[in-house]
Amino acid sequence: MAEEFNTEGMLDIYLFENQQLLEQLQEIVLDQKDEDCFDEDSINEIFRTMHTIKGSSGIMMFDNITAVSHKLEDVFYFLREGHPTNVPHMELVEHVLEVEDFISNELEKLQEGDPADGDSSEIVKDLDEFLTKIKGGDTGKKGKEAEVSGNVHEEPKQFYIAPVSTSDSHFYKVFITFSPDTEMANVHAYKIVYALKEVAEDLLYSPEDIISDESCAEPILQDGFKILLQTQSDKDEVRSIIGGGYEIEKVDVFECKAEEFFQGFDFGDHNIDLDSSVEEIEAKAKGSGDEKEKEAGGAKEAKIAPGDFVIQSKEPGKQKKLARDKPKAEKSSFISVNVSKMDQLMDLIGELVISESVVLQNPDLKVPGLNLDNFTKAAVQMSKISTDLQNVIMSMRMVPLTNTFQKMNRIVFDVSRKLGKDIEFEMVGEHTEVDKNIIEHISDPLMHMVRNAVDHGIESNEERLANGKPEKGKVTLSAKTEAGKVWISVEDNGKGLDREKILAKAKKQGLLEDGKPESAYSDKEVYQFITMAGFSTNEQVTEYSGRGVGMDVVVQNLQDVSGVLDIESTLGVGSVMSLKIPLTLAIINGIVVETGGASFVVEIGVIKEFVRVKEEMMIHEPNGEEYIMIRGECFPVLRLGEWYGMETDNYRQSVEDGMMLIIEIEDRKICLLVDRLIGEQEIVVKPIPSYVKKVKGLSGCTQLGDGSIALILDPAGLM
Amino acid sequence: MDELSVKGMQEDLMDLTDDDEAQKSKYMTFKSGNEYFGLKIQYVNEIIQIPSITAIPKTEEYIKGLINLRGKIIPVIDVRLRFKQEAFEYDDRTCIIVVMVDDVVVGLIVEQIADVIEIREENILPPPKVGRAERADHKFVYGIARVGNSVKLLLDPDKLLNDEDFTAIEQTNNMISMKE
Repeated sequence: MAEEFNTEGMLDIYLFENQQLLEQLQEIVLDQKDEDCFDEDSINEIFRTMHTIKGSSGIMMFDNITAVSHKLEDVFYFLREGHPTNVPHMELVEHVLEVEDFISNELEKLQEGDPADGDSSEIVKDLDEFLTKIKGGDTGKKGKEAEVSGNVHEEPKQFYIAPVSTSDSHFYKVFITFSPDTEMANVHAYKIVYALKEVAEDLLYSPEDIISDESCAEPILQDGFKILLQTQSDKDEVRSIIGGGYEIEKVDVFECKAEEFFQGFDFGDHNIDLDSSVEEIEAKAKGSGDEKEKEAGGAKEAKIAPGDFVIQSKEPGKQKKLARDKPKAEKSSFISVNVSKMDQLMDLIGELVISESVVLQNPDLKVPGLNLDNFTKAAVQMSKISTDLQNVIMSMRMVPLTNTFQKMNRIVFDVSRKLGKDIEFEMVGEHTEVDKNIIEHISDPLMHMVRNAVDHGIESNEERLANGKPEKGKVTLSAKTEAGKVWISVEDNGKGLDREKILAKAKKQGLLEDGKPESAYSDKEVYQFITMAGFSTNEQVTEYSGRGVGMDVVVQNLQDVSGVLDIESTLGVGSVMSLKIPLTLAIINGIVVETGGASFVVEIGVIKEFVRVKEEMMIHEPNGEEYIMIRGECFPVLRLGEWYGMETDNYRQSVEDGMMLIIEIEDRKICLLVDRLIGEQEIVVKPIPSYVKKVKGLSGCTQLGDGSIALILDPAGLM
Repeated sequence: MDELSVKGMQEDLMDLTDDDEAQKSKYMTFKSGNEYFGLKIQYVNEIIQIPSITAIPKTEEYIKGLINLRGKIIPVIDVRLRFKQEAFEYDDRTCIIVVMVDDVVVGLIVEQIADVIEIREENILPPPKVGRAERADHKFVYGIARVGNSVKLLLDPDKLLNDEDFTAIEQTNNMISMKE
């Protein structure tokens, strides 16, 4: 491991980090694509993301990525600092996604070991145009903002930007008047600023050049020293930090709103009105924007000249959306771990469980007359911990579907825009957790299905109108867990599958059975035709689908993870395609049974019921086959001991002594005779070592709590 | 200890400087039936006592089943059955030599472990081409070593594990890896 990182480490980490950043970016963008604009948090986040990508790409010398991310950073810097109001949001979303695509494409190339040689000039040009456009539209501020955006790398001098801004921080306007005879008022002012920095989350003061420019001592004396402060401390604390002293004549601390804070030095009124009460001043500060603007135009304003940092006040209507009170999603942090280490950990924990049982059931403890009270207490505690440990390692393999669903969101967005369809996308249950291996397998099938839904399923806007359907098409992607399976369904309210059309096509391709009338096919059977290779009812091949590859690939991929596809559809109303896949391939919920001293595991999902039977229910065929009648239904019987090749005296011969498991797979049923049930257990599936040839009827093996090995039965193979 | 092994030990000391070289000529010997067999020591992972074995149905007779080796599930094969000799009762002296050949870990059930000895290249002869060559165990033997007055049959672990079923295993492995 360590050696690997020495050579390729930089690139690996670069790729990994940036891919994650891009994923987050896409999530933010898609989350807000339907809003009027991005909220402040997102703008900051996108800006930061681009800044990080630009930085790391610069180090790695991927110039094209650097160029593109730099441009987008410019755009967002302008958005952040300039707060333009006329940004075409959709266009912006597209630009961001375009950049994201470009970068992830380049990252993929790098991952394959190819150079990142994509041409960035086009995107850079587009972004330039876009930036000029949004700047140009914001008349009157043009010059100023051009200056701002040209200045990307320099943080504004007056700001001490601290990255944290928590909701419980206060904003203050502080106004300090020094005694007229104070020497070097600028130094005193700096002392105050310095003291406040300790508690400040954000700090802005005027005049700004108090250290380098001695001449500003004069205006400080005349006009007072003004500070804008964002902090968690309350008013009194701020006062005490500023402190007193013979040179300070007066300290005024006014609490204000965040928006006012960001408006900068709008202090005119305070200056004039220094002696009025705090309430009055606050009332004034809350005054209408017009008033402020008027005052902002005043002489004082011009003198302070904070224009560069004034954030245009937002229209009352807009405000809500811009600074939407979004509950801050808790960011979880991740590290990437080599899967082999996880497996090792899993093995070790299995071993721990075994040695635990060896200790706790040690024959030495069975000596009569021992007082084991304390031992038992300690033992219970230990078992609890080891159970928790097992649960954690198992949950470590489980990953929520969120990322996969987000990708689908993107696809719907792209395809629907290109096709000019107005489509709403809804996700339900995206936090459902699935084993990582399985997620990898279902990502492609899902993509096909979602594309199909958007492309074929949903009609064009005109067609929908003509049919009296709501104009907005809707695609719902939902996930849920049920009976140890994950159900992921793609639902659309489009035109649905046309039974007749599919049948006609199937006939043309010679897929229909000879002599079976078309009406004899059930809807399910008809829909299954579309999962066959080369079958597409779409006459036209579009950019997204219709080439007849797709559904067959979906089914194939699903089979790899022992999943099935279920299609339901109503003509004119819509269709639902559901994937039914096991939660995990690594851990199953199983019933442990015993026959002749050997343990076996049967997956719980396939067991219909357990029954005790009587000898007279058995039917013996002359050829040795056995059947059993249970409630009027006849099942074939398989004696597990016999199948296992045990000596006949090892396992129970009479069906009355044993237990019958009725197993059902896809409408086929079989009765399995075992000696007795042990219990239900979470089973860590391990493959049977490849040295042993694949045995029909066995799907793997596992280690039980006592260290013994149980074979996992594959019911389909037993039939 | 006979004179030979003492000599061997002296050579051991001399070879200590080069561990790999020393290992190359060392053999793990064990008894199966009436004969002693040798296995190059670099294939041997460890020697364990017989744990409980979970049988696998419908597989080759010599594959006795699976054992749990500290959380790792490995197959075990009965060397005597592999040589198509008669089965034997497992007792206290029965051991499992865990070998690893090309990343495949398999346990070999043998009647009795003998010594780790050193066999020099010049003492190894190719197996006789005529005579008893039809014997089942001989196709796994790539050389015969004279050690003092006794003879050790040197086993080719690759052939011991795979040999005739090699293609079949290969296919299954391919199938499995394709699935993965």
